[in-house]
Amino acid sequence: MSVDLVAVFFVAAGLVAAGAFAAAWRRDLTAALAGVPLMFAGAGVAMVGIERFSAAGGPHLVGQEFAVLLAIAAVALVALGLGVSGGEGSR
Amino acid sequence: MDSLHAIGFYVSSGISLAGALGVALLPRRDQRGAALGLVGLGLAGLYVSLSAGFAALLALLCYLGAAWLIASPQYRSIEGVAGAAWRQMGAVGGAGLLAVLAYSAFRGDLVHAVYYGGEFGATALSRLMFARDAMATEAVAALVLVVLAGATAAWRVRERGR
Repeated sequence: MSVDLVAVFFVAAGLVAAGAFAAAWRRDLTAALAGVPLMFAGAGVAMVGIERFSAAGGPHLVGQEFAVLLAIAAVALVALGLGVSGGEGSR
Repeated sequence: MDSLHAIGFYVSSGISLAGALGVALLPRRDQRGAALGLVGLGLAGLYVSLSAGFAALLALLCYLGAAWLIASPQYRSIEGVAGAAWRQMGAVGGAGLLAVLAYSAFRGDLVHAVYYGGEFGATALSRLMFARDAMATEAVAALVLVVLAGATAAWRVRERGR
């Protein structure tokens, strides 16, 4: 049993597509917002996979760095969207 | 990559994809929050199996925070203005995106290289983030600051207008 870059790309494609599906299909915009971290997770998995399997010439950790920054940006965007939506019972 | 890491990779990918389907399909916000937490757990497992331990730790913390926000009962729902036909087209577009990405993944034949990095990589990653790519890290930090201040301001304005 082994893992290669194609398997990593398949998982990343599933996460990105599930996020896009959630963002497009949900009627509630705050529920659709949950698709953003999924798409960011897919991008992060792809970047870490490229760095793990195809970065020649020494340890290039740019993929891991990109994944970390994407995770931070994902939680920040969720916080922004829910903050803009306002509190329950405000109208 | 040895068999243990490979098993961890496939189990974690199953967990994360199941959580992603839960985020997309589950009806209640607490269920969606739990599913997003599951995605974070699977994502951390994926990163660990890909020798990115530090990224796994940070991703787990960030996605658990996002799951807590999504599951919170304190925000109100906003109904979108797009009609059912547009949402159906968007869903079909998501399926098409999956087909395109899966095809490109199947054809993605990049060069295979031997990995020389460590399993955790906190020191090297910190050196990269705070020395070589400090501008990108500061840009994300500024984004987080603006987002938190903006969200707080928007929340207070709405509460004051009640």
